[in-house]
Amino acid sequence: MPKSHDFVKHNCDHYDGHCYDHLDKRKYGDEADICIVGAGAAGGVLAYGLSRAGFKVVAIEAGPFWNPQTDFASDELSMQSLAWNDTRLVAGNDPLAMGHNNSGRGVGGGTVHFTGVFYRFHESDFKVKTLDGVADDWPITYQDLDPYYEKIERDIAVSGPKHFPWGPFQGPYPYPEREPISANAEVFRKGCEKLGIRSVVAPLAINSGPFDGRPPCINRGFCNQGCKPNAKFSTLIHHIPKAIGQGAEVLSDCMVTQVHVDKAGKVTGVTFVHDGKEFFQKAKIIILAGYCIETPRLLMHSACPLFPNGLANSSGMVGKALMTHSGHDVYCKFHDEVRIYKGTPVLAATQEFYETDLSRGFVRGYTLNAHGSRPLGLAKNLVSKAGNWGEKLYDIMRDFNFYAQVTLVGEVLPSLNNSVTLSDEKDEYGMPRPLVTFSYGENDNKLIAHGVGKAQEILEAIGGEPAFVIPDTGHLLGACRMGNDPSNSVVDGFCRSHDIPNLYICSASVFVTSGGGNPTETVMAIAARTADYIVEEARKNSY
Amino acid sequence: MQENRTRYPSYDVLNEKDQWDEHTREIVIKRLGPFPKNKFLKEHEAEMIYAIARHVVYDQRKEILDYVVHHLDNTLSSPMGENQRKVGTPEQKILVRRGLKATDNLAKEQYGAPFLKIDVQQQFSILDDLARGKAMTSEDWQGIPQKEFFKKLATEIVNAYYSHPTVWSEIGYGGPAYPRGYVRVEMGLTDPWEAKRDAKES
Ligand SMILES: Cc1cc2nc3c(=O)[nH]c(=O)nc-3n(C[C@H](O)[C@H](O)[C@H](O)COP(=O)(O)OP(=O)(O)OC[C@H]3O[C@@H](n4cnc5c(N)ncnc54)[C@H](O)[C@@H]3O)c2cc1C
Ligand code: SF4
Repeated sequence: MPKSHDFVKHNCDHYDGHCYDHLDKRKYGDEADICIVGAGAAGGVLAYGLSRAGFKVVAIEAGPFWNPQTDFASDELSMQSLAWNDTRLVAGNDPLAMGHNNSGRGVGGGTVHFTGVFYRFHESDFKVKTLDGVADDWPITYQDLDPYYEKIERDIAVSGPKHFPWGPFQGPYPYPEREPISANAEVFRKGCEKLGIRSVVAPLAINSGPFDGRPPCINRGFCNQGCKPNAKFSTLIHHIPKAIGQGAEVLSDCMVTQVHVDKAGKVTGVTFVHDGKEFFQKAKIIILAGYCIETPRLLMHSACPLFPNGLANSSGMVGKALMTHSGHDVYCKFHDEVRIYKGTPVLAATQEFYETDLSRGFVRGYTLNAHGSRPLGLAKNLVSKAGNWGEKLYDIMRDFNFYAQVTLVGEVLPSLNNSVTLSDEKDEYGMPRPLVTFSYGENDNKLIAHGVGKAQEILEAIGGEPAFVIPDTGHLLGACRMGNDPSNSVVDGFCRSHDIPNLYICSASVFVTSGGGNPTETVMAIAARTADYIVEEARKNSY
Repeated sequence: MQENRTRYPSYDVLNEKDQWDEHTREIVIKRLGPFPKNKFLKEHEAEMIYAIARHVVYDQRKEILDYVVHHLDNTLSSPMGENQRKVGTPEQKILVRRGLKATDNLAKEQYGAPFLKIDVQQQFSILDDLARGKAMTSEDWQGIPQKEFFKKLATEIVNAYYSHPTVWSEIGYGGPAYPRGYVRVEMGLTDPWEAKRDAKES
């Protein structure tokens, strides 16, 4: 184990099991077929799918190549380093918390510290405009993704119930549901039962039995700190090693700062910075998989005479319609201990309120997840998001073990006012810091009020006393949305940019609407479909 | 207040430290001190943060508050980013340094003595005003949003405080749980080593 962990300069450039501290010996230094920027949820799936098809793939990742055994600790504070910690400027009526809350940095991206809750979207999610008259329809349908959802679930052995009562997919999942479930999940399910609300054991990208050389979950509860035993799926331990096995090269601690374009308007390669030094990676196809802030930032920062407003931005939609999920945490206090620190954080959920029901006074809906917490996560949210400190904070925290928690994952409608733009401030690479502006809309606020009320009702039904609500958000989506019309979208249904034929954008940034559930299965299904498309296109033409 | 500190008076999470993985153990044990000299904070600033932390976490214990101050110094001297910063708020180093100075001057103006010399009630009152962004403004506060200043300090103070093993013990938190994990997670069940409530309590 390395003696000191400097998370800012933790260098290792891996391929074929080699590890170099310098970049002279790059495998595809001359030219790669495909260069993927960002080795997160989407980047990992793409790297594996495309290297397996025989392409020379290089994935360039800004953050470290983590080793779960030596880099991860069972500790909340020290594991804040898994996040994208670089400062982003925030504005709007409801400025977003960045960092650990929503963005990963390092091989595996957000999947390293995600909670592993793994839902498909519903059919209605892809046609919100048609059904509800708001937002936009996606250029793809549920049926387009269905085979990829199934493939991903099988590939990583998603565990879940035999019967899933909502949406077109009714189960069963490849691996059995988790058993036993935590006290917090039990309390939630009992509350639902009292009220006649259907609930399930949550589908999870976490092993319920041994799979692929990885052990089942041991319920330690630190999913958001990185899973040390490797029971939880992440692209760090699944897709990336397999991609390397297929010949892909992964360059970690390498921040891409510029995408280059030739006179003909095609991309030629990227500049990246490693340890203060600039390098160039040439590639035939570039895929930006850097999530919802860094992708639009990179596109705008790469503006050139041919594309003065940034790459792939003839529509002006790069950076527009950024979304999140309303993620309010609802706490009720019980007479007996619940101990929310124990067990996988999310083990039960309901999607009973997912679809539009106009009698509620708003469109679209939400998922409720029974959600665990560790003390730092709770106390930090109490002080920074709910303004509790001093005796009040102390009183709440003393009874830490007596709260049950339910977390909302609420749909947020896209708005052109919610955006990523470039600020005047520069970061360490000389790139303008992103300015992230976010405000909830009227529909969003009505939905939140309903979801918070329901969560409280559920816990009250079995004796909980409403204690406090922490206004939080989860996940980022959009800012480079897909669409059929090049005048109001950035990429097409296969994530290919409308403006530049050999530039793809593939990550949560292409979402048209947010859906009312955790998004990563959809991110990965889209990536798998894009990989197939690129393979298919390459067979037909040459770039 | 001290009497009620905990529902788990006989529990000490550190008794379990041999069960933790080495990497985690090393990280957690370091929080018990001793701490190196501050790299960013000047002595007076460190003392002010110490005093402010007493209010924020409602605790007086030196061994924990020393760690809190050390954590703040670490955070402020680190090259790592601060995740997010509201438009119009300066970088955290400037926000904290200038904010502390302005707080000190505020105490002088309002109560005729620097922050460390006024009584705790007066200190509390100033912090309460800052938390709501309602303290008296002056030139000192130009470009230093009071609410953001308080939030930055309070958040980092809480970050450290609730990472201290003594506090984990008091709230009955199991702490690090690798490689052992939890066997009994259902309602009403605990693993033998977890915190147990005092039998007298119902
Ligand atoms: C705390 C937390 C809990 C979550 N829980 C869940 C959950 O339970 N279920 C669920 O479905 N989703 C969850 N998510 C969301 C999930 O992590 C994201 O949806 C998912 O990771 C998005 O995938 P992506 O490929 O779009 O981006 P990411 O996975 O974020 O990957 C982007 C990668 O690109 C890299 N990158 C960015 N810019 C550059 C650059 N310029 N140069 C080089 N590299 C770059 C980043 O470092 C990062 O590694 C959670 C997220 C967080 C933070
Ligand atoms: S709860 Fe399970 S999946 Fe989550 S970190 Fe612990 S062992 Fe890994």
